[in-house]
Amino acid sequence: MKRNSLFKRITMLSIATIMTFSLVACVEKEPSNAADSVSENGEKVIKMGRVTSANPKLPEGDTYENNAYTRLVEEKLGAKIVNAFEGEGEDYTRQVALAISSGELPDMMRVDSREELKELVENDLIADLTDVYDKNASDYIKAIYDSYDGRSLEDASFDERLMALPATIGDEAPNMIWIRKDWTEKLGLEIDSDGDRLITLDELEKTAKAFIENDPGGSGNPIGIPMAYWLNSGTYGGSALNMTSIAGIFHAYPRFWLEDENGNVTNGSITEGTKQALGVLANWYKKGILDPQFGTRTWDDIMALVTNGQTGIVTGPWHIPDWGLSTVREMDKNANFEAYTLEDENGKVNVAHTNPTGSFIVVRKDYEHPELAIEILNLFYDELANSKDLKTDYPEVAEYKELGVDGSTRPFNIEVLKSDNLLFDYSNIMGAVNGVIEMEEIASSEARDAATSIMKYNENPNEADTADWSKYHSRVKGMGLIDKLTKENKFNWVTPVYFGNTETLEKKGANLLKLEEEDFIKIVTGAEPLDYFDTFVSNWKSQGGDEIKAEIEAILAEEE
Amino acid sequence: MLLPGMIFLFIFSYIPMFGIIMAFQDYIPAKGMLGSEFVGFDHFTYMFSLPDIGQIFTNTVVIALGKIILGTLMAIVFSILLNEVRLKLLKKSIQTVVYLPHFLSWVVLAAVVLNMFNLDGTVNQILSFLGFEKLNFLGSNKLFQPLIIGTDVWKEFGFNSIVYLAAITAVDPGLHEAAGIDGANWWKRIWHITLPGMLPIILLLAILSLPNILNAGFDQIYNLYSPMVYETGDILDTYVYRIGLLGREYSFGTAVGLFKSIIGLVLILSANNAAKKYTDRKLF
Repeated sequence: MKRNSLFKRITMLSIATIMTFSLVACVEKEPSNAADSVSENGEKVIKMGRVTSANPKLPEGDTYENNAYTRLVEEKLGAKIVNAFEGEGEDYTRQVALAISSGELPDMMRVDSREELKELVENDLIADLTDVYDKNASDYIKAIYDSYDGRSLEDASFDERLMALPATIGDEAPNMIWIRKDWTEKLGLEIDSDGDRLITLDELEKTAKAFIENDPGGSGNPIGIPMAYWLNSGTYGGSALNMTSIAGIFHAYPRFWLEDENGNVTNGSITEGTKQALGVLANWYKKGILDPQFGTRTWDDIMALVTNGQTGIVTGPWHIPDWGLSTVREMDKNANFEAYTLEDENGKVNVAHTNPTGSFIVVRKDYEHPELAIEILNLFYDELANSKDLKTDYPEVAEYKELGVDGSTRPFNIEVLKSDNLLFDYSNIMGAVNGVIEMEEIASSEARDAATSIMKYNENPNEADTADWSKYHSRVKGMGLIDKLTKENKFNWVTPVYFGNTETLEKKGANLLKLEEEDFIKIVTGAEPLDYFDTFVSNWKSQGGDEIKAEIEAILAEEE
Repeated sequence: MLLPGMIFLFIFSYIPMFGIIMAFQDYIPAKGMLGSEFVGFDHFTYMFSLPDIGQIFTNTVVIALGKIILGTLMAIVFSILLNEVRLKLLKKSIQTVVYLPHFLSWVVLAAVVLNMFNLDGTVNQILSFLGFEKLNFLGSNKLFQPLIIGTDVWKEFGFNSIVYLAAITAVDPGLHEAAGIDGANWWKRIWHITLPGMLPIILLLAILSLPNILNAGFDQIYNLYSPMVYETGDILDTYVYRIGLLGREYSFGTAVGLFKSIIGLVLILSANNAAKKYTDRKLF
């Protein structure tokens, strides 16, 4: 009896094994979608991974899959865009992770880090774009990339082959402090006594305190300064709600690989300046200046605080009015912000150059029309951007711009702009607004658009559309501050020495970030004293930091 | 008749087992499971060398054990008490109310819990009204585990009590009558008749829940935690999710998952043996 059952079991096991192998063989067949790349009526089809945004403001009936931009692609390039998946923030990251792990990529998608790009290249999953780029890219597009001295194309290249189309991000620094202007006026606060829009830590603290004590938003539950738990630019919403600007006044640049005064590579997260910045935050937390629920708030929670009038202080880049603060205006017609930045004891603003790229558009290997990626790039970042009259050339797109439809509805949710674009655009916009140049002289349609919005806003600030309100804030106040500080030579720029990845960084990086995130929160919330920072530094070094540092030093030595 | 079940089992339980191989190789998606390089026990060694692994392991066991023990106790007590309710309509309505949360997912319930327990939430408003200090349930390493265990017990005890209620009804009413005639009070009858009558079921469910000792509930914790409470709230599943899927360390994630399963297997076998040895009842 016993023997019999054993025999039975062995038989079952072998059947199971055989079935398993045969099924796996089926699963692992080549994903050939050749037939799918042409639609029924002979149009080319692009299956795309799409990055979405919570509030795209699409007109009724339009979707991420079918809107003015995708229709434009269909009309001009004869290609229909179908969404393989859509996602926002972390959700998109997860979708990409799943696509990579299953090896079934959409025809085109955006990846948000060089690590992911590298993995795709190593896995031989994406197409080599070198030749199609050379052949198809317009001169203007080539000029954009050339304005970075080859840095951005290099970032997307492996063994001299261009494997992706990089986004070009100009520097977003400084991280600004956006303060509700209508509130400071209501309370008669003088934040910035000398009027240079540079404020000290003390001035910021006093403002927050006044907001808490007087509750100008009338919410009944005012919060001083909210911050996200990714105190240093982390994943989603990276450039906002973090401690970058506070670290800057202590000459600290967390998470950047820098060279210290002795010429050694070091990480900004473990420097003395970062410790001092954390000390400030810990002190604020104790006094209630920092949000008492710091650490458990999500991005959405904090945006709700701003919208509900519970807080009037937000840290973020120059463009945060366009996608973050605009919801405040929807709720409160009187809402206004002023942009400030923190100064160090010498009256300077210390900022680090950010990674020139970060996002990439990749094309699936074996996709039949890789040239479409370049054509879309040409269409959006050359033709559309340089169109002299958007209204007659692309009426639908012009209408979108007027409605303030989010840029994420474009098929490639990246920016491809010249390195000096920001200040160039600013001088164009202000030139037109002040009547120095004609509207037609503005180089890009985006800037022309902004100028129109600003003029509309200036005519009647109280009744202006939210879209015009946002443009006014991000351009006149945000860009304006950068322009002013650049002209007055207030910036003290630092250039990080390394942006890439290393073997150990890949393996232990996630764990190190977790360590940093956790320990910084503990220090700020007072669960550990400030001197615990030293323990963090030694843990950080022993858990892989020193190894990574050595690897980077070796790479840099090789490059020289 | 057995065939459909067998096929189902093959497709959904046996075929995925092939993926275990990933734990022993440096899995690269493009090369697939048959092409990736084998690295032996590297990922396991790395797992045990991680500085946080002890803490994560402890968290997992503490939370899971807390849920199993408190959940079982609560369900037993509740079913005994409910059994004493004589009014049928009342009994049914109580049952319906306590079953309800079981049918809602943690994604929904997490929103409720967050609203109840955050700093401005209902619970804290009551606390401050009564003159106590506000408690940061979701951001405190002392309170997070009790919160997780408590809310899970609240969600599940009603549903778990169904089986115990059934066990109670199976007890011969004659025994209760006889004991009543002999002068046993309510408490004595519970202790000497109802509980021994329920024992086989209690034992069975205890054995069945033991392998879950490393399943502390991903969806609950994922929806409630934040980096502030990683120290006490991070469990194997959430850790594997963050490092494995988001960090794209697939092999490592698989290794941790496999480790979990092995512990579960060992536990259920030993619990079954112990049950056989001491009580002469066993599962298989």
